[in-house]
Amino acid sequence: MATDGPTPLERFISGILPENPVYRQLLGMCPTLAVTNGMQAAMTMAGATTFVLVMANLITSLIRNLLKPHLRILVFTLTIATFVTIADRFLAAYLYQMSKQLGPYIPLIIVNCIIISRCEICASKQGPFTAIADALGMGLGFTVALASIATIREVLGSGTWFGLRVLPEMWPDWVLMVLPPGAFLTLGLLLGTVNWLSSIKARKAKG
Amino acid sequence: MSDKGYITTAWLVLSLALLFGAALAGVEMLVADRIAANKLQETLSQVSVLVPGADEGKAYELEGQVFYQALAGGERIGWVIPAAATGFADKVEILIGVDAEVSTITGLYVLAQKETPGLGDRIREDAWRAQFKGKSTDSPIAVTKVAKPGPFEIRAVTGATISSKTVANLVNATIASVREPLQSAGE
Amino acid sequence: MSQELDTAPASDTDQAKAPRIVVAPSPHLSEGSFTTRRMMLDVLVALSPPVAVSIWVFGWYAVVQLGICVISCLVAEAAFIAWRGRAFTLGDGSAAVTGVILALSLPWSTPWYVGFIASFVAIGIGKVVFGGLGQNLFNPAMVGRAFVMICFPAALGAAAYVLPGSPLSIVTQATPLTALKQGLVESSDVLSLLIGNTNGSLGETSAIACLLGGLYLCLRRTASWEIPAGTILSVAVISGAGYLISGSSFLHPLHHILGGALLFGAFFIATDPVSSPLTVKGKWFFGLGLGAIVMLLRLASGYPEGLMFAVLLMNAVTPLINRFTIPDPVGGPVPQRN
Repeated sequence: MATDGPTPLERFISGILPENPVYRQLLGMCPTLAVTNGMQAAMTMAGATTFVLVMANLITSLIRNLLKPHLRILVFTLTIATFVTIADRFLAAYLYQMSKQLGPYIPLIIVNCIIISRCEICASKQGPFTAIADALGMGLGFTVALASIATIREVLGSGTWFGLRVLPEMWPDWVLMVLPPGAFLTLGLLLGTVNWLSSIKARKAKG
Repeated sequence: MSDKGYITTAWLVLSLALLFGAALAGVEMLVADRIAANKLQETLSQVSVLVPGADEGKAYELEGQVFYQALAGGERIGWVIPAAATGFADKVEILIGVDAEVSTITGLYVLAQKETPGLGDRIREDAWRAQFKGKSTDSPIAVTKVAKPGPFEIRAVTGATISSKTVANLVNATIASVREPLQSAGE
Repeated sequence: MSQELDTAPASDTDQAKAPRIVVAPSPHLSEGSFTTRRMMLDVLVALSPPVAVSIWVFGWYAVVQLGICVISCLVAEAAFIAWRGRAFTLGDGSAAVTGVILALSLPWSTPWYVGFIASFVAIGIGKVVFGGLGQNLFNPAMVGRAFVMICFPAALGAAAYVLPGSPLSIVTQATPLTALKQGLVESSDVLSLLIGNTNGSLGETSAIACLLGGLYLCLRRTASWEIPAGTILSVAVISGAGYLISGSSFLHPLHHILGGALLFGAFFIATDPVSSPLTVKGKWFFGLGLGAIVMLLRLASGYPEGLMFAVLLMNAVTPLINRFTIPDPVGGPVPQRN
């Protein structure tokens, strides 16, 4: 089965930038906006999402030949919900403060469209090795996207990065950046920049 | 497929559900104790800060409301009272520490708030909260703007009079309403 | 439209020689002198009384603030234009107008970086990302001010206006509307609200200066008189009703009209032709709604003044107002085809 469709390496690479889940597919907008006011929260979210992506893709890929078309969405959701719950419980046990800070956004990974779209597009059609490569690529792409937004918001909004002071004490915190409007502004400007860069690339490729 | 019946087409879902359910039960068994300990630890760590000298926090239900008893060596030396009110932006949730007779405030902690960052959210700062410490509950606490507040006064956060008043009024109202029941519960 | 007709033969692009027929809706005649540049110069002339009063009241603070904002706006405009490779548009004066209005809407005490950031946000996020002048949905100056207002609440909140013990005696007292918010009603008399020797944002203190500049704008038809008229009418009715019902505990309607940024905003900010409605009926709606939101924010929100948010909110519904107030063409409505 692994012969048809992209190879594992192609899947892995396309997830990072060419098909970046946030900047290219505009999926997973809810955590992208909600938990990016600090790097710590954003990276915890990215890690949990990647874990769920890998596990859901792996399980789906292993049972792909048993899937019935009309039951597949049910099976995807069941699988995703199971691993999200596992991630949620482990965060509550080992990173209690972070779990409190992320609040409902960890359980909400269940409805993150990145995961179910990867189950549908890749894992239900290709072998486990390709599926894991795909999940890792997409997870890395998601991580890169969250990190770029969270870096801008945390540095401008709090003068810190991962909670460590990076700007001088006299830096006036841009409070707006850690509030919800800052998320929309940052995402909008970064999306615009990505589109601008790719339009330049396309123009160069043309001639 | 149509003649096979629901059970036969759904066997995959059913067996997956069983498998996943068992896996979740396993995870729960593994981490449940740790999560419970985390939650207890959080309350306890606040109790010992809010009522100095306490080494144990214990929930105490009175008239449908939950209080925490601050215990030192098994003996009650104070109370921690949760309270909430609407501030400038949204609900402000605080914990008030008082001594066993509810006569002196021993501490104040802001659990949750969404006041203006940089202004109203400075009610979380230690220096501001420390003003409540040692205040007698004989008279309500008033908010003032002068540099040297009187015995029943606290200084407002600069530029955030509403947030400051919210907390002070909340403390006054809460203590007024729970003083009697808690004092009688102490006997 | 007529300009397109004028310039059509002159523009020799790829298919230059072919006769070019431009089809455009009426009116086919328009006043040639009515250009962006003329309008912006009018606004600058009209802004001179408030500028003069602000310099009289706040001295060097006003001069410095105006300098920072105007220069930052011009630099931002030049930078963004250069980046996008567009035609040089500094000459139309719109960036300078944005800078002056922004400066006049800030407190005297605002640190330099606040005006600087506000200017770049005003030009960049308020105007350029929408496609430049004429495409912007919101008033650029107010976008910039809202950004810094939320970013630096300590620099723009009610407390920023007051500095006890300052040699400038005006800034030792609360602004008239903050005084209302804190229940100190009798803080400023109507005369000082008219002349402008009260505390407040730089350009808003003097009602007479705002009226002078505003009337000039309306007479020159650079601003539509319906918008300020609607705003003032709506504030007068709401505050008048409140005054009649709850009596002295409510600020006198004159305080509501003359105090705060109401007149400054109604004449200079709300009348921005790009972000306000096109039709006469729509302009009335815009003005009335603006006054109502200002009163709502003054009375029910945590802020003493609500003009900035009111303008932004009404800007947001401007496309909707335009759609609902399309005038009937001469000769009756266009028959529907099936």
